Amino acid sequence: MSAADPTATSNTGGLKRGLRWRPGDTLFRSVTGLAALASGVLILGIAYTVFRDAWPAFHTFGFGFIGHAVWDPVRNVFGARDFLVGTLISSFFAIVLGAPIAIAIALYLTEIAPRYLRGPIAMLVELIASIPSVVLGLWGLLVLGPILDKHIEPWLHDHLGFIPLFGGSPSQVGMLNAIVILTIMVVPIITSITRDLLVRIPGELRDGALALGLTDWETIRGVVIPYAGPGIAAATILGLGRALGEAIAVAQVIGSSTGIHVSLFHAADTLAGRIANEYFGAASKLQLDSLIGLGAILLVITLLANLGAQVIVLRAERRGVL
Amino acid sequence: MDTNHFVGRRIALAMVALAAVLFAVFAGVASAKNAKGSDDRLSGAGATFVFPLVSTWIPAYQQATGTQVAYASVGSGAGIAQITARTVDFGASDAPLSPDQAAACNGCLQIPWALSATAVTYHVSGLNKQLKLIGPVVASIYLGKITKWNDPAIKKLNPGLNLPDKSITVVHRSDGSGTTYNFVDYLSSVSPEWSSKVGRGVSVNWPTGEGGKGNAGVANIVLSTDGTIGYNEISYALANKINVAALQNKAGMFTTPGIRAITAAASTVKRVPASNEMHIVNPPASQKSAYPISSFTYIIIPKKTGKAATLRKFVFWALTEGQKPQYTQKLLFVPIPKPVLVAAEKTLKQVGS
Repeated sequence: MSAADPTATSNTGGLKRGLRWRPGDTLFRSVTGLAALASGVLILGIAYTVFRDAWPAFHTFGFGFIGHAVWDPVRNVFGARDFLVGTLISSFFAIVLGAPIAIAIALYLTEIAPRYLRGPIAMLVELIASIPSVVLGLWGLLVLGPILDKHIEPWLHDHLGFIPLFGGSPSQVGMLNAIVILTIMVVPIITSITRDLLVRIPGELRDGALALGLTDWETIRGVVIPYAGPGIAAATILGLGRALGEAIAVAQVIGSSTGIHVSLFHAADTLAGRIANEYFGAASKLQLDSLIGLGAILLVITLLANLGAQVIVLRAERRGVL
Repeated sequence: MDTNHFVGRRIALAMVALAAVLFAVFAGVASAKNAKGSDDRLSGAGATFVFPLVSTWIPAYQQATGTQVAYASVGSGAGIAQITARTVDFGASDAPLSPDQAAACNGCLQIPWALSATAVTYHVSGLNKQLKLIGPVVASIYLGKITKWNDPAIKKLNPGLNLPDKSITVVHRSDGSGTTYNFVDYLSSVSPEWSSKVGRGVSVNWPTGEGGKGNAGVANIVLSTDGTIGYNEISYALANKINVAALQNKAGMFTTPGIRAITAAASTVKRVPASNEMHIVNPPASQKSAYPISSFTYIIIPKKTGKAATLRKFVFWALTEGQKPQYTQKLLFVPIPKPVLVAAEKTLKQVGS
């Protein structure tokens, strides 16, 4: 930008502050700007470190590392396939179960619940998000596991056993336990973002719907969902990011088994779960590198998911919906 | 001109702020490095296996010498990681250092400083007697080749036992663990198939079964699921009242892990290699009552350390005074045998500053 063209510095076009230097402003701008810069530097720095440290694994096994099935710490042969699939399956089901519940809660809180109930219920839902994941994992192991094993999984097996997903023999730890725990984790995230979106829907739209004599359901379907849809989709993807990356709780309840199993009752494992379990016990440098390799894959997936959410929001903003 | 001046100022301020942040970070790192404390304190981290024993040592040792020892039971792998980074004065591990770990640790010594056993645990409701197993059958179960509790191979070992027609749920550790090392060390020595297909390590490629995190994770699954088989440190299994299987040793006797049986296994040690890496699983038949999954656990210390004298004194105390029954017996640890003690003391002499 050239100093010869004074208009170039003013992008607001309108009022311009005096040219007198204000130290307070400068300091404030520097501090906030630096904070913003730091987050950018941090994400790049983390990505750089993860990929640098994961490089030996990719160098040794090639990019086949991603699709390779064996994970053998004794023979030093590593591949990410089973954990990648486990991560995708557990997160997929957590979202499929969690998103409708979360959106239903948010709709209830903004559209249907009596006013005196809205605050307390919203608070309770957000309290779920504050449960430390290690505590939730313990609950999954000690309380949920036996219930799944003795009641829910046998029932699913007896009534829906023709679906291969429910075909195995019941077990306390396994994919289903992890899915339920992850569902509990994503619900408050999606609920609270969705609720904020719904609250911001202009009153005139609701009034209009009311004036047309629409029912609650018709208002939700015709006004609320189209208006908040992209935001809800983005909220769901943020929830997905949480599910993809959860390590400790998953490691406690998923049963850490390799292989791809159709039955949801069977023990499985995820990228984050495997890292949490083996990082501190790694016997060889290559095992450590490969665990970081799992982290690199996970990082790429979660970054893609979050980018996806931002693209959705951006496109919606451009259309003027948000 | 004004703009440039403004931008320049802004950049300068930003640089100052950045420098301040970096300074704060590095100062933090530096102070953490120096925070090891004075010479009358020792900090250690590692195996959960020896934690109960070390906890009984700490007050006694402080009373005797005035030295404060802090021990964090974070697991063998984390212990090795911490001593490798020198954030503690000593590490502790149930598995001997792997070649990679030894190289990374850069001049570390491993000294066997305690001795106990790993129990094969099970939960089959309604059994009228204790379950008896032999190594190859345990290996077959963990290879996924024996899948029912009333399999002929198990029935043959347990005449008169009402074994049910029930699937066996195999439980193993999901985290890298010294207990796993001891268990698969045993399976490798009794089953050629295990040795060639799976092998030994702190974490292995399990052919079957579900993983529990930590001793507690495995114990919890075994205790609450009918039809399970697992493995735990013996003191942990006893404290949680889990059924322990009797295992046949080379002499043909079925033994359960107890002081006498572990002592017998340890007394088969005649020679100690320079690395101090000891394997006493599946011991020779000369000891009739030996329990076959007994193992040493190690303290890992750097050869060069600023606290050489303090550290040598503590380890020597642990190897001698610390082995007395008042500390070890209740926890089912066994005093380390003479040849190991001699080798340990010799190794300890290498520690200097």
